[in-house]
Amino acid sequence: MKKPYLSIGTVIVTAVLTLFASMSTLAEDEKAFAEHKFVLQISDMDAAKQTLVLNVAANIMKHYGPDKADVEIVAFGPGLRLLFEENVNGNRIDGLVNNSGVRFAACGNTITKMTKTLGHPPAMNSHATVVPGGIIRIKELADQGYLLVRP
Amino acid sequence: MKHSLAARLGGLILCATSLSFTNIASAADWLTLQGTEPAGASNPVNIWGFIQAQYQDDNSDANAADQYVPAKLIGPDLDSQSQFNVNRARLGARGVAMPLDSQINYFLLAEFGNNGITDPENSSAKLTDASITFNHVKGARVRVGMFKTPGSEEGLQAIHVFDYINFTNVTNQMMLERFPNRRYTPNVGPQTITPENDFNGFEESVGAFRDVGVQVFNTFKLDNGWEASYAAMFGNGNGLNFGDNDSNKELYLYLAAEKVFSGKGPRRSGMKFFAWSQDGKRTADFTNDATHNPEEYDRERRGAGFKYLNKGLRFTAEYLEGEGMIMQGVHNPSFGIGPCQGNPTSTAGCHGAEAEAKGYYVEGGYRIPSTNWELDVRFDNYQRLDGDQFEAEYDKLTLGAQYFFNPRVRVAFNYEMSDAEAPNFAKGAGPNANLDGIEDRFSVQVTAIFK
Repeated sequence: MKKPYLSIGTVIVTAVLTLFASMSTLAEDEKAFAEHKFVLQISDMDAAKQTLVLNVAANIMKHYGPDKADVEIVAFGPGLRLLFEENVNGNRIDGLVNNSGVRFAACGNTITKMTKTLGHPPAMNSHATVVPGGIIRIKELADQGYLLVRP
Repeated sequence: MKHSLAARLGGLILCATSLSFTNIASAADWLTLQGTEPAGASNPVNIWGFIQAQYQDDNSDANAADQYVPAKLIGPDLDSQSQFNVNRARLGARGVAMPLDSQINYFLLAEFGNNGITDPENSSAKLTDASITFNHVKGARVRVGMFKTPGSEEGLQAIHVFDYINFTNVTNQMMLERFPNRRYTPNVGPQTITPENDFNGFEESVGAFRDVGVQVFNTFKLDNGWEASYAAMFGNGNGLNFGDNDSNKELYLYLAAEKVFSGKGPRRSGMKFFAWSQDGKRTADFTNDATHNPEEYDRERRGAGFKYLNKGLRFTAEYLEGEGMIMQGVHNPSFGIGPCQGNPTSTAGCHGAEAEAKGYYVEGGYRIPSTNWELDVRFDNYQRLDGDQFEAEYDKLTLGAQYFFNPRVRVAFNYEMSDAEAPNFAKGAGPNANLDGIEDRFSVQVTAIFK
């Protein structure tokens, strides 16, 4: 009796991830003419790295301009805290998304592990796009010509 | 002398305000800064601390018998009129108990320096802060443990960003609490240098503006850049002592409204209005007899003030008053002076346990544009035993300068011009025999903050 439920659950998760992936693709399409593509990795516990990665994204946009630069910040491991709903950098993330088109990817594997630890899923920033794996997402972007930077 | 101090203060303020305004400045929400961590962005363990090393030289005169009182000597040792000292050396940690859960944070700090916290108990180290904050209820954070109590700006603010070396008289004498000894303790009279006996008659650490208890607090962001803060704390009323020495508890209340201009942290720009109160009782044996017969005395403190910091200009003013437990100097642990010594119910008054006091301070700072220098000036007034025959009035004008090597390391220079008198006594008579000689003091202090 359990197998059908598992299958339904799998279908739902797959559908959600596919939806997120398609949304991500749409966002990338908006940057189709960007000449400078960066993927920024945030995976550290150190809170100062959160500020640093946001500063780097802002500086890239300031230098090249939102039309010519494409930046995606991929958060996984302890670095996923950057994309928690409660994070104090929420306003800065809003600004980078709304003013510069910076994208934020949240590692699904990390969310799963944190869910087990917390006993409930962490509340995520609404700008975060959940991807199956942070490192997988970085590989995908690297294959597309994005420059990986780990501030 | 009082008029000349006021005149000098007015002139300096005019000079300061006539200069152009630029650069950084600060006002701060101390409740949030000291009691919380940035959500989702704090490490489990953030080691931090600071060191303050200083030299002070006091030019006060001895009395007619060539003897001194504590106000004319350098604390906390009170053995001489000039001294090098490492007055603060604090090491601590703060952060979130678990990185994934920003709703619980902690604050731990210990003092290793030589000051009123460590000297009275001859301790080489003493815990000053150990608290846990729960942020689960929206609008009502809960902090438990030992931490700074809601109170005056001078006491509540972080000491490592304090812009002067010594406290004002009203803060040092009325707010920095000295707790009664377990048994009646006689006064320590004026002494020659080097004093034969320890001038500090109190056996326990100063309160350090801290208590053990539980506090509910929060800061709300309002429209147009305004913030509103509140705090209500229920504590032992027994300072840095972990436990309580009686069953009475202290109630601390605090309200503030601040217009935030820019920045963050202890030096953010803003304009803050605040008011506070502290209400409790102390139990002490103040009667000079062979019987241990402690009684309860009220201790009330309240105040209100204003702080403005913007574009390199800082201005602060605060009025404070107190009823009960008015200290008469660290050499008078029975809280009494004069003929009513050892008799709290004397109709002649002059016993601090049932007396009143009030005071105020105004101060300003100006960061000189394109330099690392800041100029500071402060005037403070304290009326001890207000309305009593033995009332004593203290005025102090402090001229200061600070040089910032960088935002975390600075050197401060202070020159204090003090005047004290008992207005109901002739010059040289009664308390004036020792108050007349209180004069100027020069201090220099280096502060290094690490984190």
